[in-house]
Amino acid sequence: MERYWNQEIETMSREDMKKLQDERLVKQVRHVYENVEYYRNLMDEKGVKPEDIKSTDDLYKLPFLSKADLRDTYPYGLLAKPLSECVRIQSTSGTTGKRVVAFYTQYDIDLWEDCCARAITAAGGTKDDVCHVCYGYGLFTGGPGFNGGSHKVGCLTLPMSSGNTERQITFMRDLGATILCCTPSYAAYIGETLHDMGYTTDDIKLKAGLFGAEPWTEEMRHSIEESLGIKAYDVYGLTETSGPGVAFECSEQTGMHINEDHFIPEIINPETGEVLPEGEVGELVFTSITKEAFPLLRYRTRDLCVLSRKKCSCGRTLIKMSKPKGRSDDMLIIRGVNVFPSQIETVLIEQGYSPNYLIEVDRVNNTDTLDISVEMNIQQLSDKVKDMQAQERNLAEAIKAVLGINPKVHLVTPKSITRSEGKAVRVIDRRKLHD
Amino acid sequence: MAQVRQISVFVDNFPNRLAEVMKLLKENKVNIRALSLADTRDFGILRIIVNDSERAENALEKGGYAFKITEIVAITIPDSAGQLSRVLDILGQESVNIEYLYAFTGKSDKAVSFAVRVDDIEKASEVLTANGVILLTDKDISEM
Repeated sequence: MERYWNQEIETMSREDMKKLQDERLVKQVRHVYENVEYYRNLMDEKGVKPEDIKSTDDLYKLPFLSKADLRDTYPYGLLAKPLSECVRIQSTSGTTGKRVVAFYTQYDIDLWEDCCARAITAAGGTKDDVCHVCYGYGLFTGGPGFNGGSHKVGCLTLPMSSGNTERQITFMRDLGATILCCTPSYAAYIGETLHDMGYTTDDIKLKAGLFGAEPWTEEMRHSIEESLGIKAYDVYGLTETSGPGVAFECSEQTGMHINEDHFIPEIINPETGEVLPEGEVGELVFTSITKEAFPLLRYRTRDLCVLSRKKCSCGRTLIKMSKPKGRSDDMLIIRGVNVFPSQIETVLIEQGYSPNYLIEVDRVNNTDTLDISVEMNIQQLSDKVKDMQAQERNLAEAIKAVLGINPKVHLVTPKSITRSEGKAVRVIDRRKLHD
Repeated sequence: MAQVRQISVFVDNFPNRLAEVMKLLKENKVNIRALSLADTRDFGILRIIVNDSERAENALEKGGYAFKITEIVAITIPDSAGQLSRVLDILGQESVNIEYLYAFTGKSDKAVSFAVRVDDIEKASEVLTANGVILLTDKDISEM
């Protein structure tokens, strides 16, 4: 039987949800206009006044915010509450430039943890569970978000943070962890280490995992589910909106329900900014309608996905988003072709290789080069060179069939590519260094 | 049937990688009887025949190396002109295909040994024995 954390909200009729969103949006726009000078100026430039926003139907009139706006206003420029009302900051990893700092009032933290509690409950978590959290704790939202959500549900919470994988497994075994929260790449590594230590899935009690904070493929889901003997659920979130728990998967595992009582999603054409109808692929945009301290309106996530209101077997009426195809800024343009690392990952897993790989892109004599280091599959090791070279060639051909461009595949020793305990670094683009 | 255990180790094509394998074998007091290194653009396949295969395999396993065991034919023939040609003729006439071979020194300086990787090891052993070619065993290798 499906369990809900907040049944009233999670199964609310579309009509009632829209009414709730309308009320909250109108109030939120007024709050932002009055308290955030930066956004007030953007609205004034567009000639939009708070009274023009009467319902969610008027959402399209509001100006967008992007990561660049967050950087320009660092650190306090988008703050909508006095600092004396704020109790916490969290921050992005800063991998794509300057860090972004988000502020939270106690109310903001409560609603964020509540969203995480919905995700844990949808994955089957109850107060009888032992929830092992090995997302990083600290500035990264992963650890604190799930820690709080797990407390709300009433799970016994193991605040492991990331790293020291053998110790993670020891705790997981000794304390009978049933739910695992971490990045998908770390979950894969934990699975690998478990088997390396001579254990099997019979030696652990895990039943479910909530994995997010980086793009991952269906193939990777199957491989993690098999190696840890669990159901693997996707979760979505970003520091700019709060953290993990903005959207979460249910038992159907066909996309993530968005907590739309807090975050209104839109899909836009990333080139023109035009709002696209349901079912079309585009950039995901979020408007926070309940957050107090750092309420971003129409924030462009750079994630490409599809929204769907198709009836879900779990009974939730919350709109669903597809697994993001990748962040639009993870996308590589190689010889004019759009390449997402997730496409390469899919081929590797299909062909029986480990999802640990390294993509290196460079430019030699004005031509882009694509080199992919892949850990060889020990079952396929041969004493004959021609067999090994055929493996490289076959893999290169399978990747070419998907991408349309020819990569150079390099087989390397199993487990020699650095494992990630947080967000995996899979791409090195050296072309940027030449610019 | 006389066969010899060959260990093939996957070695990344980076400086010092081969040296690391040798150091590991040295630390485990493994003596290499025969060796051949096949190289490609990205990696090498180090093929070795050692005095104590079990000890070498344990060390490689612990060291996290990717390796594979293959049974091969090892022969000892007199060190004089035409001897290898004679052996290859025997195999050729019986349609046994050779994948690769490499030479190593045996017990005597009047003889030379070859590790021969063939597609049909049973047939190869049979026809070589029938033609009086001396085949080495794992025991011969460890006692060298």
